Amino acid sequence: MLETNKVTIRFGGLIAVNEVSIRVQPNKITALIGPNGAGKTTLFNCISGVYKPTSGEVLLDGRHLEGRRGFQINEAGITRTYQVINLFWKMSVLENVLVGMNSRLKSNFWDSLFSTKKKREEEQRIHKKAYELLQFVGLEEYADAPAASLSYGKQRLLEIVRGLASEPQIILLDEPAAGMNTTEKAELDILLKKIIDMGVTILIVEHDMKLIMNVSNYIYVLSNGKLLAEGLPNEIQQNPDVIAAYLGGDD
Amino acid sequence: MESIKKQNKLPTIVGLAILLCVMPFLVKIVVGNQYPLLIMCIILIYIMAVTGLDILFGYSGQISLGHAAFFTVGAYTTGLLNIYFGLPLYLTIPAGAILSALLGALLAYPASKLKFHFLSLATVAFGEITYYFLYTSPGGFTRDYKGINVVGISFLGEDYLRWYFFLLAFVVLILIGKISLINSRVGRAFLAIRENTHAADGMGINVRKHKIIAFTVSAFLTGLAGALYVHLIKYISPETSMQKQSVLFLTMLLFGGTASILGTILGVASIEVLMECIRPLQEYQMLLYGILLLVVIVALPGGLNGGIKNLVSNRRRKKAMKELEIAAQAEAEARKDGDE
Amino acid sequence: MFKILLINGLIIGGIYALIALGYSLIYRASGLMTFAQGDMITLGAYLGLTFFRIMHLPFFISFLLTFICAFLVGVLLERGVIRALLDKNVIPIYIVLATIAVSYIIQNSMQAVFGTTTLRFPQVFGVSTLTIFGITAQTEAYACLLISLALMLMLHLFMTKTIFGIAMHGAAMDPMAAESCGINSSLTTGITWGLAAAIASIAGMLLGPMYGVYSTLGSVIGRKGFAGAVIGGYGHIYGAMIGGIILGLIETFVAGYWTGTYKNLIAYAVLILFLFIKPTGIFNEQAIHDV
Repeated sequence: MLETNKVTIRFGGLIAVNEVSIRVQPNKITALIGPNGAGKTTLFNCISGVYKPTSGEVLLDGRHLEGRRGFQINEAGITRTYQVINLFWKMSVLENVLVGMNSRLKSNFWDSLFSTKKKREEEQRIHKKAYELLQFVGLEEYADAPAASLSYGKQRLLEIVRGLASEPQIILLDEPAAGMNTTEKAELDILLKKIIDMGVTILIVEHDMKLIMNVSNYIYVLSNGKLLAEGLPNEIQQNPDVIAAYLGGDD
Repeated sequence: MESIKKQNKLPTIVGLAILLCVMPFLVKIVVGNQYPLLIMCIILIYIMAVTGLDILFGYSGQISLGHAAFFTVGAYTTGLLNIYFGLPLYLTIPAGAILSALLGALLAYPASKLKFHFLSLATVAFGEITYYFLYTSPGGFTRDYKGINVVGISFLGEDYLRWYFFLLAFVVLILIGKISLINSRVGRAFLAIRENTHAADGMGINVRKHKIIAFTVSAFLTGLAGALYVHLIKYISPETSMQKQSVLFLTMLLFGGTASILGTILGVASIEVLMECIRPLQEYQMLLYGILLLVVIVALPGGLNGGIKNLVSNRRRKKAMKELEIAAQAEAEARKDGDE
Repeated sequence: MFKILLINGLIIGGIYALIALGYSLIYRASGLMTFAQGDMITLGAYLGLTFFRIMHLPFFISFLLTFICAFLVGVLLERGVIRALLDKNVIPIYIVLATIAVSYIIQNSMQAVFGTTTLRFPQVFGVSTLTIFGITAQTEAYACLLISLALMLMLHLFMTKTIFGIAMHGAAMDPMAAESCGINSSLTTGITWGLAAAIASIAGMLLGPMYGVYSTLGSVIGRKGFAGAVIGGYGHIYGAMIGGIILGLIETFVAGYWTGTYKNLIAYAVLILFLFIKPTGIFNEQAIHDV
């Protein structure tokens, strides 16, 4: 499964992530929490190939991923959503999902240009599958609408389902509940469990403690770039260092 | 985006096809001479060239302010291969397109790293370097500023009517290919790169590879257009690679609307017709063109295609509002009856 | 030979520096690229000619008037065209195209008013040539070098010593922060465009006596001037000055020692090389406005 070994990410003089080692358990929800600026998204960016770690390793089933480019990491089976929603705004909701499938498709350039049987059959198949994915999150009625026209909460759902489109081993969710209302968060809770049922592993960064305590199987706490604590949800809840780091708590 | 559902567009396409086939005959009869037909042929060639630019900019979001260089390289390649080596045109024309494509691929590799404004500068530089290279070629092999005179295509001869249908066949094939490409994995990848390069990378798209593919295809199409152009006009000079020709292509693309089949056609046709109208006013051509350009930019930022889409969606919205109104009225009526 | 090339390189380098300055000032202030600078040069040459030759005003006065007129044109361009487009939130390519349209309009207007023949600038100084350090050149050429250096110095002083200049510099770096300090950043942006145009017009007035005045005087040199801005780091003010001079030197030396036929190509070759290998330029200027 996914693990990071003593990953350090340094920007000039600033150490954003300091020798962080985490282990994501297969088919479970692992959470990464911590105060703002703790380095969570930076670590995510490192895992998904945006940054190369200054030192340390990122391993997926023993394969080294550190330093690889974003699309290669997607091909390896890791996909993600973003803190600031990063949809393809002018493309339709369905097309966003279709793009998500890109790395699993077999048609090459010439198939695409000459609309070969292989391409046409694949297109039919994936359109059907994309629609089913939209049904999975209840977005199918918006299939042809531009992604920008969705409400904020639905945009987040679209990002998640776009990530699932490539049939990943692991999906990294970067603050998926941000900006959601209580109803949407409750639905998200259910969705996360449905994703696990699909066989996908989740690594989630979140500030909503209630959600985290509800869904997580294991939690890592980051503070100032360092791993502060790790353990089961109820252990973390009672950990004095963690409480001190939050000082007043988030959400 | 343009996922064209062919079923409900069939009558439009058939109608358009008939129009396209009948029009040149009508024009020839009404006007009497071949000149308007020549313009229609040039429009078809420019549609090919601008389709190339659309793949590059409209789809993968890479700006080119030097695209005329590919057009001219295609033209010179076929012309010079024919003049110096006597190779037949059915070889030299594809050679022009291929050489242009290779040049595009070569340029694309470093250019794919550049951000918007810097890419535009790189393409300007590329265009200028091409111009000066053609203008003062080593050993004068391009005949420098004099340009080259080239043969026409023998079975088409001087008959612009024949040329028209010959070129129309090319355009139709190219547009079919474009539609196919758009509704495919590669086409969606291009659009994704244009929309959000970062997310495209995250979704498993090799951005650099796709940018290079887009550039290569784009250069191929524009080069092909140039190669056909030189045999139609039977002359080419370095002037065709000057920046104003690149700007013309871009204007046609933006005026019609990017990432659309209809947009390219409308844009090329309208701008070319406008340019023909301005042509008699020799001295003021640039001035009028500049003013026209400004007006277009300020008034119609979505291009013609955007304007049409707005019109259509406005009408649909008004219709929907009307229906809602009627439904609401009926409900109010029913409630009144219920109360009584 | 070396000394001649050096002086000529510095002279044309001074011009390139002024042009590159315009580009970097505008990019710093608005994050935009403009293709109209070259024609501001032409405009300056024609304006200078009008004031000096046609209206028989003294050279210095003509100089000043040209500066002011071009400044106003620059401000007008920013407020009238650029701002209007920015408010409409058009995609960046349209703004680039708009500056190209403006460039066509200026170029053709000059042609319409003044005709297509090259007009001569009357002699400005008493002596036609000067010999300094054993190198003889047109007096105008030496004046050109002197004036462009003086102009760069004045700009430097303006931006570091005057309150307005500091405000402008600050607004260019961070409009929101500047606004909260009470600086009207939209005003300073307009003034920056005006300044860029005015500087270009001076370059035109300096080129005119050396090359004559014609409607495409500025366009080629303006386009080549992009290389100067990129060499120094596009958007870096001092980088533009140094980049421009370097460009002038490279162009002159390569043409002098290797071949004169491809002279115009050199600037573009340098431009494309820098873009591909070191787009941030000598001073490592990060692109301020990412698309």
